[in-house]
Amino acid sequence: MRQVRAIAINTFKETIRDRVLAVIVIFALVMIVGGLWLGSISLGEQGRMMKDFGLATVTGFGLIVAVFIAAGLVHKEVEKRTIFVIFSKPVSRSAFIAGKFLGLCGTMAVVLAGMGLFLFALVGILDGHVSGMVLLAVLMVYVQLLAIMAVTIFFSTLGSAILASVLGICVFIAGQLSQNVLSLTRLGKNPLTEALSWVIYTIVPNLSAVDVKAGVVGEQTLAWGQIGLWTVYLLAYVVVVLALAALVFRRKEF
Amino acid sequence: MMRRAVAVLVVLACAAGVAAYQATRPGRAAANPHVFVPSPKFFLDFSPNFRTSIADVYYLDMIQYYGEHLRGGHLQSLPAMVDLVTTLSPHFKRAYIFGAFALTDVGRPDLSVKLLERGFAANPDDFAFPAYLGYFSYQYGTGSKQANDAAAARWYQRAASIPGSPPYLLRLAAVLAGKGGQQVKAIDMWGQVYAGGDKYARQKAVDGLDRILPTDKLARMKALTPLQSTLSPKDFEALIAELFKGYLQ
Repeated sequence: MRQVRAIAINTFKETIRDRVLAVIVIFALVMIVGGLWLGSISLGEQGRMMKDFGLATVTGFGLIVAVFIAAGLVHKEVEKRTIFVIFSKPVSRSAFIAGKFLGLCGTMAVVLAGMGLFLFALVGILDGHVSGMVLLAVLMVYVQLLAIMAVTIFFSTLGSAILASVLGICVFIAGQLSQNVLSLTRLGKNPLTEALSWVIYTIVPNLSAVDVKAGVVGEQTLAWGQIGLWTVYLLAYVVVVLALAALVFRRKEF
Repeated sequence: MMRRAVAVLVVLACAAGVAAYQATRPGRAAANPHVFVPSPKFFLDFSPNFRTSIADVYYLDMIQYYGEHLRGGHLQSLPAMVDLVTTLSPHFKRAYIFGAFALTDVGRPDLSVKLLERGFAANPDDFAFPAYLGYFSYQYGTGSKQANDAAAARWYQRAASIPGSPPYLLRLAAVLAGKGGQQVKAIDMWGQVYAGGDKYARQKAVDGLDRILPTDKLARMKALTPLQSTLSPKDFEALIAELFKGYLQ
């Protein structure tokens, strides 16, 4: 446990100091402010535009940060040969993966909290009242990105960092669509494609089960039970994927 | 030294060229009024978590499209745009209202009415939809003037029955019901206005009733009889006193 904590703290410090991260976050904040301009040409729907485009920006840039940092976490250690120093100490490979993931969780929490609070303040100024729903939506984005980070770390144990990044983004897109693809395949009534779709649907994280963003702009009433269940599902998914990543990483030779 | 001077001159010449091109380039070519608008079904199937964002993008596009092509009168793609936005975001009230008014510029108030009816079905607690439907029935109804007034009265009455609606809606409904030849209904509505209104509303109800009631004393009394069961005895007596002021002398 102590080793996991040490690796997590170290990963957090290392990633949070990354200049690329700062540039991405600044760019995201500029994009969020860009929502103000969109709002100004929306015939009085400034608040809605700000929330909607702001949350889409938080999701998009959060995804970029999550995927690109997660993909490079393991590879950096291998390339710099620091992994040999780490494994010369009593650190298991599972602890290494868990520590890396937890460190990145901390970094993502800081990044999303920064963007989320900025958006929250802007929406508060525009609407004249604060809406906790924006923060809830950002929290749900965070939970989604945890699953993507875990998947990207898993892929980074299998192949190169670039491949892991691309696959991480693909899983995010597939996670948004899997439910619909399954329903569409069922319409075709072909047992083989249906079975294949079902397998993909089960493997890929279901990121579209709850749409908090629609709730924030007043399109949906949020079902709290469903949100809770979905969060637990995604956290369980993270545990399974990290366990698989640790299993693959244990067999890896440097 | 010479090299530097040449480099500076080249940069300055390039900068002057860029500025001159931007300042003198011809205005943007006229935009095509026939815009490809995807089917809402496509986005419903393939963008579960980004529907509202897509709806918002198309809403902004719809406003730009309307502004660009209004003068030329070519708004062929507008109905499809309105349909797309409101299908992806069924609670986007402003999109319905803007769309309904914009569709009248295409010469399709029938589509405006359908759009507002769809909006009302998706937002049954919002009085704005039946209120706007009342306006569209009054302004663009295809029946006779009297039939349009009666239809508008029905929508306004429906809007007035929704909690939180402003009190003027029932007065509007009563006026239009009277004009639409629905005297009994109008009397009943004015009775409701009188019973639930403040001093101003009560005076409006008295004036409204005075306009539609027969002048003959007996006929007037007979027309008011149904209000006896809907108003409290005190209110009924006060209303009778107001409406028969001239008759008592």
